[in-house]
Amino acid sequence: MTQRTEERLTAYAFIAPYLALFIAFLAAPVAYGLYISLHDWHVLGQSRPFVGLANYAALLQDDLFHRALMNTAYFALLTVIPGNAVSLLLALALNARVRGETLFKTLYYLPVVLSVAVTAIIWRWLYSTEFGIINHYLSLLGGPRPAWLNSPALAMPSLAVMSIWWGAGGNMLIYLAGLRGIPDEYYEAARMDGAGALARFRHVTLPLLRPALLFCLVMSLIGSSQVFGQSYILTGGGPHYSTLTVVLYMYQTGFSLYRMGYACAVAYVLFALVLGLTVIQYRLVAGRREDMAA
Amino acid sequence: MMLPTLRRTALAIGVCLPVLLSGGCLRQAPDTVAEPGVLRFWNGFTGPDGATMERIVKRFEKDTGLRVKMQIIPWATYYDKLTLSLAYGGAPDVFICHANRLAEFARYDVMRPVDDLISADEGLDLRDMLPNILAAARYDGKQFGIPLDCHPQGLYYNEKLFREAGLVGPDGRARPPATLAEFLDAARRLTKDTDGDGRPDRWGFAFTWLRTNWITFISQFGGSILNEDLTRSAINQPANVEATRLMADMITRYRIAPKPEGFDSWMGFRQGRVAMAIEGIYMLSSLEEQQGLAYAGAPVPQFGRRMAAWGGSHVMCMPRKLPDDRVRLAWRLIRYLSDNSLDWAEGGQIPIRRSLLKDPRFRAMRVQSAFARELPYVVFEPASHKSTEIMPFYDAAIEASLLGIQSPQQALDEAHRRIGQVMARP
Amino acid sequence: MKAGRIALHLAMTAAAIAFVAPVAWMLVMSFLPESEIFQPVPHWWPEHPTWSNYLELWKRAEEAPVPRWFFNSALVAAVGTSSYLLLSSMAAYAFARLNFPGRDPLFFLILATLVIPGQVTIIPVFLILQRLGWFNTYYALIVQGLSGVFGVFLLRQFFLTIPRELEEAAVMDGCTRAAIYRRIILPIGKPAIATLGIFSFLGSWNDFMLPLIAVNENEMRTLPVGLMIFLGRYTMQYGLVMAAAVVATIPVIIIFLLFQRHIIRGVVLTGLKG
Repeated sequence: MTQRTEERLTAYAFIAPYLALFIAFLAAPVAYGLYISLHDWHVLGQSRPFVGLANYAALLQDDLFHRALMNTAYFALLTVIPGNAVSLLLALALNARVRGETLFKTLYYLPVVLSVAVTAIIWRWLYSTEFGIINHYLSLLGGPRPAWLNSPALAMPSLAVMSIWWGAGGNMLIYLAGLRGIPDEYYEAARMDGAGALARFRHVTLPLLRPALLFCLVMSLIGSSQVFGQSYILTGGGPHYSTLTVVLYMYQTGFSLYRMGYACAVAYVLFALVLGLTVIQYRLVAGRREDMAA
Repeated sequence: MMLPTLRRTALAIGVCLPVLLSGGCLRQAPDTVAEPGVLRFWNGFTGPDGATMERIVKRFEKDTGLRVKMQIIPWATYYDKLTLSLAYGGAPDVFICHANRLAEFARYDVMRPVDDLISADEGLDLRDMLPNILAAARYDGKQFGIPLDCHPQGLYYNEKLFREAGLVGPDGRARPPATLAEFLDAARRLTKDTDGDGRPDRWGFAFTWLRTNWITFISQFGGSILNEDLTRSAINQPANVEATRLMADMITRYRIAPKPEGFDSWMGFRQGRVAMAIEGIYMLSSLEEQQGLAYAGAPVPQFGRRMAAWGGSHVMCMPRKLPDDRVRLAWRLIRYLSDNSLDWAEGGQIPIRRSLLKDPRFRAMRVQSAFARELPYVVFEPASHKSTEIMPFYDAAIEASLLGIQSPQQALDEAHRRIGQVMARP
Repeated sequence: MKAGRIALHLAMTAAAIAFVAPVAWMLVMSFLPESEIFQPVPHWWPEHPTWSNYLELWKRAEEAPVPRWFFNSALVAAVGTSSYLLLSSMAAYAFARLNFPGRDPLFFLILATLVIPGQVTIIPVFLILQRLGWFNTYYALIVQGLSGVFGVFLLRQFFLTIPRELEEAAVMDGCTRAAIYRRIILPIGKPAIATLGIFSFLGSWNDFMLPLIAVNENEMRTLPVGLMIFLGRYTMQYGLVMAAAVVATIPVIIIFLLFQRHIIRGVVLTGLKG
């Protein structure tokens, strides 16, 4: 056996198990899902007639789906910028080299390792109208006792606050690494020029943190477009559809009504949206490279 | 090192994977294999109901020499499992299906009609069964199972609170209201702010299961969710709006019922913080276990133009793909359970056989026999194959109306549009 | 300046409390007797701490088999992670070091699937599991995670940084490629593999959507999905629910505290967030 054959055989043997699973549970499902989305596919149906793009056409008319899209966008609005602001603030504070930095870092990151189910269980109790600590302290301050998860206006913001708490620590670490990567000389130079703290932040920190900012913002945006567990566990999409998100709608259509064709169409619209966001990210990053080259 | 070395990892995989792949002890054996002489029976009867059913099934085994493998799956996940087993295999020989879920399975042709079995069974007197309940298990002119019971909702009331409020009849016993006026009057007298914080802490009435309460109300006003032949939405008809408004008024105008948010109404009734509730007969067992609660049952008062009360029925069904020999065994179980449905009624159900309803044993069951007076006018949820699909829309409309998110008209108009879209699809 | 430092410290402490208090409260509530739970004034410290919620968990094992769910989660995370590391590192080695026809297009194809959100494939995967008869089995819970793309990508990047000279010397000595993988690549790649392993374990332990659709037998659930059922059934027994949540959380907290450095470095290197 020549060395070259040995190399090739090894290579195939090494990728074969991975590739088999990759095809069976990733590549094939992508194609299969597209195929299903072109059919009227009920789990119990004896026949699954081909309907072309009818499912997609129906989605255009389906105002509950539009509602789910709007709700998802609203959730993104409520979490992406505020969430990244929280992460950045925490990172800036940590970067000030205070005593106990490692401890603070650990504590801020702690919620990230919880599962969505545990997070939801904790927060359902915090948000409880009658017995929750949030309302308890609010009423101590003379405030009202809102029904956080039972009011259409407050439900989504409540889920957003919970999600920020849950995930802020992740981006915080990325920002912190970005901040640590900025050489002190830059700040020194800015200080020499008489720049105040705010000016230094605007003219030194922000531009140099741009890659990290872009990365985190886009990843948060992609992540929030797929929000599911929070509303599935805490509100079931209610009250009055106010927390119905795209993925939850897909799940309900697929696994409560067993309309698999329609649910797959929802999934593919989501896919297109995420793909769009990814392309935008790529453009932005590429644009930045050109900036630097210029 | 902090982590096990990779060699050990690889070893672990080497050990674990074959165990898994061999389908060994770690693989949950799906309970799908049909054993000869063993009937598989699925239902969602948890708690005391399950124990009652268990006893009846044990007796069936003793009387017939057959074996039954009964699997109790909580209702929350029951239909998911049933649907998947009917679609992909593993369905039991006999299963319970609620009357309003039956149409969907019937329409997809996964259930076996039993008309031939009924006519071949000389011992079965169909005329003994209440025709309106029997009809709830019919779809497209075919009978898809035998109803085991009927479970209407009725009025539960707290006798002690009634007596304290002077709501008693000539005999000195608590007297339940029978009309809207009597109901409102009683509820007003029962609603109290005992700790003086300006908010009532004892309520005359509380909505428990919004959906079924609402169906009782709209049916009394002559309304319905779908049109008569179950092809179009009729949910925003004036009768429904009027009935929904009355429900909302009970919260905001008459202030006799709490807003249905963050308040466990049934627990409130059990603990004496709510004096009246309209709930299903199947909730009886949860009252029996509540210590120190003096409760009684009566038919739902007449709120609207006619008498009506929501009800459901557990229908005993068989899957379409069942070999003939197993069909015969399955039918024996169904027949036995129907014949013995008086035992079943004890746990909080009502039999649908006239002969059993007249039985002194049944008449001694206080609440059951009170609720049984509703059987002639009991109303089921629409028997459309779209039932499960439209349900969330009327749920949302009821919630929005009672929480004051939308007016009843707005809420029902919105539901009308959504249900209309669903019904328009084939 | 000094006042500024103190203010900063105070603000950071307040933030730390906000991040930790909910978790701490879960722990406290799991030790509260039922009488102390529904109180107008929340109890931050149990007056009469009790193990009864945990004992109750054990007692209810028939209807809500928390111990079994724990076992399932542990098994799925352990077997899933180890298989994932093995398969990914093997494939990554082939893509990084071995020459074979179609290598680059294939790798590009695999990489391209990184942009596909997991939810897109959930329905087809469910139908495939049904068809294979794997629904409600451990295969269903484990097998989809094994084909994750990120691990191959990350490890390939890492293996590319290993100097080739090391391997060339080994080839001279007559080593096979498989032996090189085992004796050179794996030991050097250990830090990257370890980091990947921690994230894979946490991800698997906490995964919600796949276990939600892959099984529906009570005994086959993993903790996150089981907990949700639990929450639905015991609305009024919050101490019990919290005890179950604590049981589900302790392993991840232990892993987090043990491997903090790995995790923090991993997030920075990869943008993974646990």
